[in-house]
Amino acid sequence: MSETDTNTDGSEEARTDGGGPGIVAPDDETPTWRERKERTTGLSRLTYEYFERARREDQDLRTESDYVERDVLAFPTWPHETVRNLSIVAFFTGMIFFLAATMPPHIGAPANPSSTPAIILPDWYLYWSFGLLKLGPLNPDLAILGGQKLTADRTYGVLANVVVVGVIAIVPFLNKGSARRPVEQPFWSAVGVGGVVFALTISLLAVKNLMPMNVHLLFDLTFLLPIVATTITYAILKTMREGYMYDLNRRYYRLRPPK
Amino acid sequence: MSLEKKDEMDHKGWMKRKDLTPVEATFLTALVWMDKRLRIVDYLELMENLYYKVNMQMPKSHTEQYDLDNKFWYWYPLYALGSFSTLAYVVAAVSGALLGFYYAPAQAGDPSTAYNSITFIMTDLQFGFMLRSIHRWSAQVMVAAVFLHMLRVYFTGAYKEPRELNWLLGIVLISLTMVFGYTGYLLPWDQLAFWAGQIGVEMSLSIPLAGEWIAQLLFGGFTLSQATLQRMYILHVFLLPFVVTTLIAIHIGIVWVQGIAEPH
Repeated sequence: MSETDTNTDGSEEARTDGGGPGIVAPDDETPTWRERKERTTGLSRLTYEYFERARREDQDLRTESDYVERDVLAFPTWPHETVRNLSIVAFFTGMIFFLAATMPPHIGAPANPSSTPAIILPDWYLYWSFGLLKLGPLNPDLAILGGQKLTADRTYGVLANVVVVGVIAIVPFLNKGSARRPVEQPFWSAVGVGGVVFALTISLLAVKNLMPMNVHLLFDLTFLLPIVATTITYAILKTMREGYMYDLNRRYYRLRPPK
Repeated sequence: MSLEKKDEMDHKGWMKRKDLTPVEATFLTALVWMDKRLRIVDYLELMENLYYKVNMQMPKSHTEQYDLDNKFWYWYPLYALGSFSTLAYVVAAVSGALLGFYYAPAQAGDPSTAYNSITFIMTDLQFGFMLRSIHRWSAQVMVAAVFLHMLRVYFTGAYKEPRELNWLLGIVLISLTMVFGYTGYLLPWDQLAFWAGQIGVEMSLSIPLAGEWIAQLLFGGFTLSQATLQRMYILHVFLLPFVVTTLIAIHIGIVWVQGIAEPH
């Protein structure tokens, strides 16, 4: 209908504005938006199908759920978490001002390129990174290269930084599953404790010229202590898990029996 | 009967017929005025939606539903660490802006101008010593809070399934926080700053292939000079604030959408 109309219009009248408004009233032939979406092909079709599925899935979850609105296993950020935080945070802001008033920073001598100070240190939160720069003794010298090192000690240290950050970044892709508490995942908690201890020991290695102990012993302890801490944590959490999970499961499954 | 064509959308006539109170009339006039210009009507549905969502009854959290509160109340203070670091960031931003009124690295030549302006802030400026103290402490506290926040997220497994991207974003943020700290550490241009900068240059020089390029870009040369100070200054007060503020907003926005992961 509309097609024939436009055809006749075009042949009969001379139009000065280059055509009508281009908007045709929908008739029975005109596809609805839903139909248009369904008729698409390729990626847009896939996108449409996925959204439809996701919507249906959400709807099913909602009908099944006894929650008021959503089925997310989390605190709502507002108001539960925000209100709690505001009070705690107010206290700690006071703490910042208290620290600032009682322990103001001082400024050292002006920069002097010709005199290197005995102790060069970054701020405390970079000690770990600074410590990683001192891993020279771990840099393997290859027999093939005649005792040469593959990378300079310095490059090795920078590389260690990249490795540490990279390992932390991929944790969510290694540790799957729904366990949330340390007791439920002894291995990963132990790894975490090991990481924290390593951050501390490597920081101590960074300030080795201030440490009143043998440097070689310090270097060894830097790597041994984290391993010891990991093992102990793992043992403790494994032991705790027995009784703990029993209790937790009992109260959890009494309220929501497994399907 | 008037010859003038009657306006179907005669808002004024409609308002007259309605016999409104002054408050309502003012409100409607303002609304119509705004709508003619900004097409508020198009967004009305959106706003209504938001309005009802805000007032909606909140679902029971996992904790409440299964009555687990007595099991992990001791985690709760640790859940405030994210807010706390944001707040320390705000305090640092405000005090930093105030410090910025007085601190200036020289444009060229002698970098000791920077040292002198810090000395001025600490000795001559009213409240200057305290201001610098607040700035420094809030920075320290922010870094500490961000570290602890990361540990909390790790040990409560809050980085798991729907939240991996936010964990990655968090790693970017913690790194940028440390860059923030580092660039700030260099600004006074005292001995510590100079030699910390020296380490930075050597670190970037030791990166294979791109090392020299990076040293040029970040430190303005292979040895420390006025250029280094200038670059650290621009990073600290111009580039990083924009980037970090945006990322923090996204980070918190994602938390808002996904809710706080509880241990359970």
